[in-house]
Amino acid sequence: MEEQDFIDALKAGKQFAYGKLIDDFQHKVFATCISFVPNKEDAEDIAQDVFVEVFNSIHKFKEQSKLSTWIYRITTNKCLEFIRTRNTKKRFGFLQSIIGNDIPIDKTSYFTEMNHPGIILENKETSETLFYAINKLPDAQKIVFTLHKVDGKSYQEISDIIEKSVSSVESLMFRAKKNLQSLLENYYKNEN
Amino acid sequence: MDTDRNIQNKINATINSVETIETVRVSPFFKDKTMQRLFAEKEVKQSVWSWFTPKLQLATLVCLVVLNIFAFSTMNKSTYNENVNQFAETYGLSIDTETSLLN
Repeated sequence: MEEQDFIDALKAGKQFAYGKLIDDFQHKVFATCISFVPNKEDAEDIAQDVFVEVFNSIHKFKEQSKLSTWIYRITTNKCLEFIRTRNTKKRFGFLQSIIGNDIPIDKTSYFTEMNHPGIILENKETSETLFYAINKLPDAQKIVFTLHKVDGKSYQEISDIIEKSVSSVESLMFRAKKNLQSLLENYYKNEN
Repeated sequence: MDTDRNIQNKINATINSVETIETVRVSPFFKDKTMQRLFAEKEVKQSVWSWFTPKLQLATLVCLVVLNIFAFSTMNKSTYNENVNQFAETYGLSIDTETSLLN
């Protein structure tokens, strides 16, 4: 089946087309999700939300980019949305603790409580620190660093996903590495 | 000096730890769960609004517009005097229809 026929079948809401879409993309979408959110259950929930979003918004797909690029764009946005919501909840929890509300709060820092089966025990602590530092980066740098270093996507793929030139992606990557260096430096200096 | 070198080694190890992350496969029931969620949501949506097709929506809109135009033009046709006479007749205040017990 050619891509155009496949997209038409998706737009028509055909069940077999969505079955094929999930077969083709489930591992790739999940890999991107777990790169941003290092928790298997949460990453699976986000991946599921991605396919629901594709199902609900396929009529908005203008076919100006590849279907895969459009799906990765949705995936990236869903992951950032999830991280933002979690961070807001944490801030709200902190406020509750100040005003003395009795509602139980989660005082743990989300990105240090990982459940990533791909991280071996030996590297758990350093990976936790890395994810914690990545989470402190501005969104654009976080996206580029995660997609390239953690998810293993090329600069060209990232450039298509975030709709910026390859040179902009390289520049964002350079700044991300520089910021990570100083974030980690502060972290380890305070630790000593 | 040694501390700085030590910190830099730790930073490098942390950044390089990303290379050791192994690929994780999604759980085997992911497809079934997702398909169920996709098509269960679609059925609910269809059962609620499926009868109100775009043609029917357009017809309803046209009916409402025609009804409004008709009501507006009828209101404009009736004059002030007609309205006053009609009001007077309804409440028995009209001179023409007034009857006197003395006549």
